[in-house]
Amino acid sequence: MMRKLFAFLLGALLLVGIPAATAQETRELTFFLTFVPNIQFSPVYVALERGYFEQRGYVGDAPLNVVIEHGDEPLGVDLIAAGELQFGLVSGEQLLAARAAGRPVVFVHEWFQEYPVGVVVPDGSDIESVSDLAGRRVGIPGRFGASYSGLTALLTSNGMTEADIDLEEIGFNAPEVVCVGGVDASVIYINNEPLQIANRAAAGDCGDVTGVRVFPVAAAVDMVSNGIITNESTIAEDPRLVSDVVYAFDAGLRAVINNPAEAYLISADYVDGLPLDEPLRAALETAAARQVEWLAENPTATREAIAERRVALLTDLQAQFSSNSLIQLEVLLASIELWDADRLGFSELESWEQTQAVLLEMGFMEAPLDDLSSAFTNDFLPGTAQG
Amino acid sequence: MVSEVRKTRLGGREGAVIARVLPYVSWLITPLLILLGWQLVVSLGVYPEFIIPSPAAVLERGVEVIVSGRLWENTQVTLVQTLLGLGIGALSGVFLGYFAAKNRWVDTLLSPLVVTFQSTPVVAYAPLLVIWFRDGITSKVITSALIVFFPMFLNTVVALRNVPPSLRDLMLSLRASRWQMFTLLEVSSGLPIILGGLKVSATLAVIGSVVGEFINADAGLGFLIEQARNAYDTPLVIVTVLTLALSARLLYGFVEFLEGRLLHWQRRGSR
Amino acid sequence: MSASLSARNISLEYAQPAGKRLPVLDRVTASVGSGEFVSLVGPSGCGKSSLLRILAGLKSPTHGSVAIDSQPITAPSPRIAIMFQDANLMPWRTVVQNVALPLEIAGISRNQREARARALLPRLGLAEFGESFPRELSGGMAQRAALGRVLIQEPDVLLLDEPFGALDALTRERISLDLLNLWHGTRPTILMVTHDIHEAVLLSDRVLVMSQRPGRLIAEVRVEIARPRAVANMYDATFVEYVRTVRTAIEHA
Repeated sequence: MMRKLFAFLLGALLLVGIPAATAQETRELTFFLTFVPNIQFSPVYVALERGYFEQRGYVGDAPLNVVIEHGDEPLGVDLIAAGELQFGLVSGEQLLAARAAGRPVVFVHEWFQEYPVGVVVPDGSDIESVSDLAGRRVGIPGRFGASYSGLTALLTSNGMTEADIDLEEIGFNAPEVVCVGGVDASVIYINNEPLQIANRAAAGDCGDVTGVRVFPVAAAVDMVSNGIITNESTIAEDPRLVSDVVYAFDAGLRAVINNPAEAYLISADYVDGLPLDEPLRAALETAAARQVEWLAENPTATREAIAERRVALLTDLQAQFSSNSLIQLEVLLASIELWDADRLGFSELESWEQTQAVLLEMGFMEAPLDDLSSAFTNDFLPGTAQG
Repeated sequence: MVSEVRKTRLGGREGAVIARVLPYVSWLITPLLILLGWQLVVSLGVYPEFIIPSPAAVLERGVEVIVSGRLWENTQVTLVQTLLGLGIGALSGVFLGYFAAKNRWVDTLLSPLVVTFQSTPVVAYAPLLVIWFRDGITSKVITSALIVFFPMFLNTVVALRNVPPSLRDLMLSLRASRWQMFTLLEVSSGLPIILGGLKVSATLAVIGSVVGEFINADAGLGFLIEQARNAYDTPLVIVTVLTLALSARLLYGFVEFLEGRLLHWQRRGSR
Repeated sequence: MSASLSARNISLEYAQPAGKRLPVLDRVTASVGSGEFVSLVGPSGCGKSSLLRILAGLKSPTHGSVAIDSQPITAPSPRIAIMFQDANLMPWRTVVQNVALPLEIAGISRNQREARARALLPRLGLAEFGESFPRELSGGMAQRAALGRVLIQEPDVLLLDEPFGALDALTRERISLDLLNLWHGTRPTILMVTHDIHEAVLLSDRVLVMSQRPGRLIAEVRVEIARPRAVANMYDATFVEYVRTVRTAIEHA
């Protein structure tokens, strides 16, 4: 009887002991992403796949075990603010709104260097500038999020307001609505809908539309878009963890910019339904391998030279594959144009000021932050000396 | 006069006073305990205030949005949707339920479908309804009506099946017409079960219209919660949730009141 | 008014799941004279109640026919009222409303029907209970209300299906005698199904005995005790003799 009891207690101890022991061997980390798995999150996928999160372990540090969680932005921000999670990819506007409401969250890496929103018009349209939008029907997914902020910024910088245009909420259906002429212009994500409309136009499946022109918000206003956020206590208590994560993401981002074909192949494991049939896989594998060689041969290649390689990659693939199977790769390439910069991740106070001005204009913030400069930091970017 | 006498007799006996007052305030006990626990969690700092704001902060925000009219505007939208959904769902549920109980074919065609759909969470198909019926209140009314329809249909079928056969025989022996069978027997006999269904449905109707609002809306309490969340206004989220709870409770109370009026025969003499 | 009732060659079969047929009644022929009080006794499950339901027009026989004053019965008739074992009152209606139900179905105005129901209550011993709901009544009172619902129809023929079966012995005796008194007034034709041999002998002019299923008529006992009868009659030697005769007939069923 006693022996049985003893065996039971021993077993129970072992059961309790095992997870505790393994927890010491790795550091669990949840990385919060919005929406659903998507080719645009390829920098994270590449960082995971390449082991960038573990790479810069310090002696004695347990390796990071990173998992991804998806959810809506307010949820992610609150989880990070409350210290339930430490890191996530969130928009700059959400960060400011959250800080205005007392959330101790900080922006540590500006992923999108260019604000991804713009207004698209069909090629033959007589709308030749933003001011020409006056009195015209303009579609928008809804009066929320980056599209709405972007539109407000674009109008404000042209001395206009929402009242000057005929704004229609059309959900995320811009390609369909633009193709049937339901609106004269539409607020869109530069790296997505214009490509879809152009694709349809090329296939003759977009009414009278033959091509598109885009007025990017970024051309008028420099606003902060998506980036990595963390909370103040993580920065205070574990600054090394912050720089590890920023490093890993930054390295992943760099890898995507340098070799999008490879990034696309890696992302296919994470994103359901990414177009990838055997011929495309083979072509991408060849292109990826060739790019690796080229990078080795040209260790000091300039941004421009690498960008040319990307253009060449797309031209090459377009000769072999239908636009339907390339659409997501095109989205990735268009996104890279919004990400690439001389110094990845760097954000400037001026961009934050402009973003805050737009939020105040829209009434999403009631008063400017007392300490806008503590809403973000560039201190954790690779190559930056830390205190 | 009688109470006068009692008062003098009980005067000074505190236990008796409490016993007399208790029934009138007992409903307050649980909310007060919750409030106390809430304040305790805030005071102990278990969570930062932006995750669990203090009761005082919530009260303050509540007064603000009541005064500004913002809360009432959105409550109205949700209430209208809910009442329309409840009305349409309940009427169609009772109507089709009646035929299913009467006609084997209607039953075979409808009941399996209803049972299957009833156990499907509304959040799973609500996005489709929003796409099919677009924004505005239509999609919310339909979501709400649909979620109400299932229990009303099933309860009506059960209610009619539970009409005592001996009373049916009685009505037949008295040569009652089909209409008399319905008005004099089936309605009254089925009412307790149908009203039971309506009580459940009243709260379901609120869920249906709010689920729709979460997906796509420009007004309503669900929309207000989303707005507050996006503005990181946790006190407003709580104010709105409490308003929703209160609305659902009021609707439930209204059906209870109806039940009291219509089923007074159940309570009389049950001492 | 009263009327004669007749059943000719009644057979009844129920379809069984396996395609078999379960015979319930086997060629029953019987008649009840105008103004006569007849009881039907027999082992449980012998088809007594089914026969009554056929006579009430609630059920069709497999073979044979039933008639009231030589008019065939195929559906419930206004001249025939049936009273069931349970009081079978509608719980949401007051006593007056329950008693008045047949008149409501017949389309008589509310004032008229409720006045007639109320006028009936004293005779039923329910004078003070007109506005009570069934759940406030004792079993005996409920059964009296049910009796009122039958009497208000002023039927020519009364079919009683173990009407007092659910009551305790004393209540049952009293209501039986009340029924008898009421019957002396208008003298409708009565056919009563009962388990209780004493009750049958006390109330009836004739007692019909049915066999076990499938039910056949196997005996007929004519009760020649002078009316009006009272509980005291039950201790007479002749009464006891009648009871014994009926019991023996049932035991041989």
